[in-house]
Amino acid sequence: MSGHLIDLYGWSHAIASFLLWLGSLPLELGNWVAINLTGAPSPGPLTGVIGFLTSDGITSLTAAIIAINIMLVWAAALHLFTLMWIERKLYSRLQDRRGIMIGLGSFDFLASTLGRIPIIGRPFRRPSHLGTGYLQNLADGIKLIQKEVITPTNADRWMFHVAPVLITVSTLMAFVALPWSDGMWLMGSYETRPLGCVTDCTSVPVNQWGILFILAVFSIAPLGILIAGWASNNKYTLIGGMRAAAQLMSYEIPLALCVIAIVVFSGTLDPFELVRRQTERPFTFGPWTIDFLPNWYILNPILWIAFIVFFISVIAEAERIPFDIPEAEAELVEGWTTEYSGMRFGLVFAFKWLRALIGAGLISILFFGGWTGPAFVTLGVENLTTPQAEAIYILPQEFWFSLRVYIIFIVFVWIGWSVPRIRIDQILNIGWRRLVPLSLLAILLAAGARAWLGGF
Amino acid sequence: MPGSGGSELVDGELIAFVVLSAIEIVSAIMVVTARKLVHNVFWLAMTLITIAGIYVLFRAELIALIQIIVYAGAVPVLFLFGIMLTRRKIMEEPHESQ
Repeated sequence: MSGHLIDLYGWSHAIASFLLWLGSLPLELGNWVAINLTGAPSPGPLTGVIGFLTSDGITSLTAAIIAINIMLVWAAALHLFTLMWIERKLYSRLQDRRGIMIGLGSFDFLASTLGRIPIIGRPFRRPSHLGTGYLQNLADGIKLIQKEVITPTNADRWMFHVAPVLITVSTLMAFVALPWSDGMWLMGSYETRPLGCVTDCTSVPVNQWGILFILAVFSIAPLGILIAGWASNNKYTLIGGMRAAAQLMSYEIPLALCVIAIVVFSGTLDPFELVRRQTERPFTFGPWTIDFLPNWYILNPILWIAFIVFFISVIAEAERIPFDIPEAEAELVEGWTTEYSGMRFGLVFAFKWLRALIGAGLISILFFGGWTGPAFVTLGVENLTTPQAEAIYILPQEFWFSLRVYIIFIVFVWIGWSVPRIRIDQILNIGWRRLVPLSLLAILLAAGARAWLGGF
Repeated sequence: MPGSGGSELVDGELIAFVVLSAIEIVSAIMVVTARKLVHNVFWLAMTLITIAGIYVLFRAELIALIQIIVYAGAVPVLFLFGIMLTRRKIMEEPHESQ
């Protein structure tokens, strides 16, 4: 078993070949009929079209589209809904209430059948109190789709409608470079390691600029936010947009500097390579090696400052609560999202969770060993070190990556609903006067460790 | 990839280059002809992002990504801040536009 459950490349190519074969079946039939009717030995009139449909280029193109759609459904539907559910359930529990409860058990026809099953159907009286609340966000989304999209008077109509698309698309683009396992990724290629090997080669994914790509698409959103705040023609949205753009731009600097610290420390920007460095060797610190610990960068004291700064910056980048003054309900109504209605509001609202999802994924890849989970390794007596391929993985890598993302997100929610929000000048002071010098110190530490203790 | 297969019907890179260049030229013209300053900044960002796309065609991924981070992410936002903080009226009043 190879560790990952979803082989996106292979799956999408298989589905694309099947679909194209299915699509070319009627043409094949027509071709056959045409050849038989005329009795000509020459190839039929449709042969060229069939050849075009089943050619490598068209198959690759269809496979790419299918892979992108699978990743969109996986990231922006499945995990987004789960994150929203975790947040709403968890902060309700922190406030000592039950929170959302519309789930599958809330359907009458299911409640009447589930209600009789002892463990699944819990003995609540009303069917709306049977569910776990997972479907509530879906219901909210359907509600938002049904609502009217209102354009405010004197708003800059064109910019007003372009801005949410710009924000959401630039955020979704990060999932191109964010891998979920060794097999579930969009951007990258397979490379044979070790290089130039003849036998016993393992093929591993590489993506040279992955982390930098995520940072690049992260930096487009402030422009969209500022445009959204300006185009709404509303003082509150303008102030909110300015605050949001100032905050996001300020906290991108410590975010990028911490990534530079990691790059100096590990020598790579490749998410796959970062995960391999963290898991394929035991914990190393200079001359010392601890065999039972993985080489996760969070365990290395050199990188603790970088981790703390990165974590705070990710919370600020996702506009989560200690840093959510751009949308302060009490003073700015809803900040830069005030004038949006319907699914436009849904887009700019989901943007924060998407950024939190990407941020949690980045933290997991950079510091927590990515998607690797525990594995049973069959130990030979004379040969204690067994290649990774012979390990039996307990659960697929996607599960472990999602688990890390959810746990990091739970910490986000926990922090968010335990502390009050801070003022915009305090936010910018923390960003520029504390986090930027601290992240520079982290780079210095990482460079020193690299120089004197060797590579990690 | 052009030149590698030998039997390609269309040159994908040429199409991408033509489309990107067309968007870039139109955006560059819009930068100097659009009437509202925020629109100019938006078109400027569009120009810079399409330039990043052309860098990708040159196989210069690092420069493309740095271009997006610095020029598309930071410079237009700084322009916007400058415009919004220095001009007294950011959007023309309704009675002025009539």
